[in-house]
Amino acid sequence: MYQYNDFDRQFVNERVAHYRDQTQRYLNGALSEDEFLQLRLRNGLYIQRLAPMLRVAIPYGTLSSKQLRALASIANTYDRGYGHLSTRQNMQFNWPEIADVPDILEQLATVNMHAIQTSGSCIRNVTTDHFAGAAADESIDPRPYCELIRQWSTLHPEFEWLPRKFKIAVSGGKVDRAAIDVHDIGLRVYEVAQQPVFDVIVGGGLGRTPVIGTTIREGLPAHHLLTYLHAILRVYNRYGRRDNKYKARIKILLRALGAEAFTQRVDEEWQQVIKESEPLADAAITKMQGFFQIPTLPAIDDPDFSLDEQRLTHPEFSRWIERNVSAHQCEGYANIILSTKAPGIPPGDVSAEQMQAVADWADQFGCSEVRISHEQNFALPHIRQQDLFQLWQLASDHDLATANAGLITDVICCPGGDFCSLANAKSIPIAEAIQRRLDDADFLHDLGDLDLNISGCMNACGHHHVGHIGILGVDKKGQEFYQISLGGHAGHSGESASLGQIIGPSVSRDQVPTVIDNIINIHLSLRHQDESFLACFRRVGIQPFKVSLRSDAHDTAA
Amino acid sequence: MTQLLKQQDGVWQITDSQPTDWSPAESFSTGSALKLAVDVEPETAWASASLIAVDFPALTDGRGLSLAALLRQRIGYAGDLRAVGAVHEDLLHFLLRCGFSSFELPAERDPAIALQLLAPYSNFYQGSVMDPLPALLR
Repeated sequence: MYQYNDFDRQFVNERVAHYRDQTQRYLNGALSEDEFLQLRLRNGLYIQRLAPMLRVAIPYGTLSSKQLRALASIANTYDRGYGHLSTRQNMQFNWPEIADVPDILEQLATVNMHAIQTSGSCIRNVTTDHFAGAAADESIDPRPYCELIRQWSTLHPEFEWLPRKFKIAVSGGKVDRAAIDVHDIGLRVYEVAQQPVFDVIVGGGLGRTPVIGTTIREGLPAHHLLTYLHAILRVYNRYGRRDNKYKARIKILLRALGAEAFTQRVDEEWQQVIKESEPLADAAITKMQGFFQIPTLPAIDDPDFSLDEQRLTHPEFSRWIERNVSAHQCEGYANIILSTKAPGIPPGDVSAEQMQAVADWADQFGCSEVRISHEQNFALPHIRQQDLFQLWQLASDHDLATANAGLITDVICCPGGDFCSLANAKSIPIAEAIQRRLDDADFLHDLGDLDLNISGCMNACGHHHVGHIGILGVDKKGQEFYQISLGGHAGHSGESASLGQIIGPSVSRDQVPTVIDNIINIHLSLRHQDESFLACFRRVGIQPFKVSLRSDAHDTAA
Repeated sequence: MTQLLKQQDGVWQITDSQPTDWSPAESFSTGSALKLAVDVEPETAWASASLIAVDFPALTDGRGLSLAALLRQRIGYAGDLRAVGAVHEDLLHFLLRCGFSSFELPAERDPAIALQLLAPYSNFYQGSVMDPLPALLR
């Protein structure tokens, strides 16, 4: 992990002091509501439907056990004993008082954490694969580049006041677990002749206008990563629309200019930037890579250990291994998903007790490292296979061992109308109703990989466009309705990214679980052997699924 | 009336703004004082201006920051670069690092607060117009 030095600590402390001063000036009337809005947003504070919401940055989803314990303490002191894992790998607290936020930030600063640029029209928390530096299928560890981007983008003098928010994701795997095709900038890092290079994808995104990004440069040398980002951001900052917030993302600029003209403008700017600034020194890259060496793993004391017997005697453990455990770079170790998607719990919500427990397990089994996935789960890298059974038992006691990673019940879901002032409709009760209906573990495992993503409004925080099944809350004459789309994909599991297609008119909240049932049944009737939902959909198209909206759909499908 | 925040003998001071004979970008001649909108394309000839002001339309409009960086780095303008219009005290440190050297504060801003907010941070991560070296290499 990256280790703060004196400068980092001083910087974060100065940010706290500056924000405390901003808060005081707001409370004593020296800053207007509108001015403070812009300032607090750039430090992670929203005012939501019921109360303020503070979004704490977890850079590229990696934190230490000590940091997670600090979050648990904040959840107990300032929230109602829980926090929420976001789709940008951050943690959100829903009930802080505006006047308390500087104290919360001060407490965060003691463990080298902050809320800088977690909201507002600026460069947001850079995200990556939650198993970066640990996954067996990784080409290059993206984290040194994520940290370089984090440092470069933190209070960047030129790019703190962009037309709109700006999200960057980096993937270093053969399989993309960071959804880089649907970000303002997606970066794929890989090696050519033992040198790291980047493919640069621009203008992807969800929200009101979902778009798969365009690759504007391939094979960019690593020492030009930041000069090239500078060129893109400068073109966006100068020419992106500022008159309409729904047309202000870089995807709209790219579309308006055309990909070719946009790329040309970026390249022309880049040629100038290169002349005016130093490339990233090899020394800087090497220094950063030094922070992200694989930690000293606990020694394997039973070289003949096999999971076979435990799996045979404990079918539930076996299912958990199948779904939630993935291959590590080193023989005898594994990476695990601790699912927050137990029935009856809003997806991504974690209690302070759960945070403390996960921190303890990270210390006991996993080199004190914790990850947060964009699917809103905890993840632990570097676990010995011989410890999996014990860890599974402990996790079961804390509702964190649901064997559903990648299954339909591993729902990605925004806070929705229960919390968010932007939402058109509630999203959490929809997730809950579907999870309750689909409670047969054998059935779910047979159904296999199926991403269900739910957003309460067009802003698409629940990534509904890239769900294999996507559900979007819409408002119809003051009533909550839900629009269902099929065939979206975020790009993981080696399949290309795609955007969902709407199956037909929106349905009422009561109808949603039945329609989902119908969709599943139609899929089961059409699939070849173990074909996944996505593969089946891509083969047969949307037409056969349209009937799922009809009340007699089940009979038709059978 | 607006207030001018600028350095005199190395010390930041507040004075009353003096009227300036601004020339618009399209009728620029060597030695004149330019007032620019944030969306102009910078021109090489402007390096010889006696003073350049960039007019910020709103607190949230960051185009003037990129324009300032271009005037300093690409055009090579070395004279006084002034932020005018919607200049906010909490943005001074961004403006300074993009190359601005003086600020015309709107009448309703408190100059005492502005003076305190010139440098809320003793250092930054990334290089800038003022200091090309990132923290990582310092």
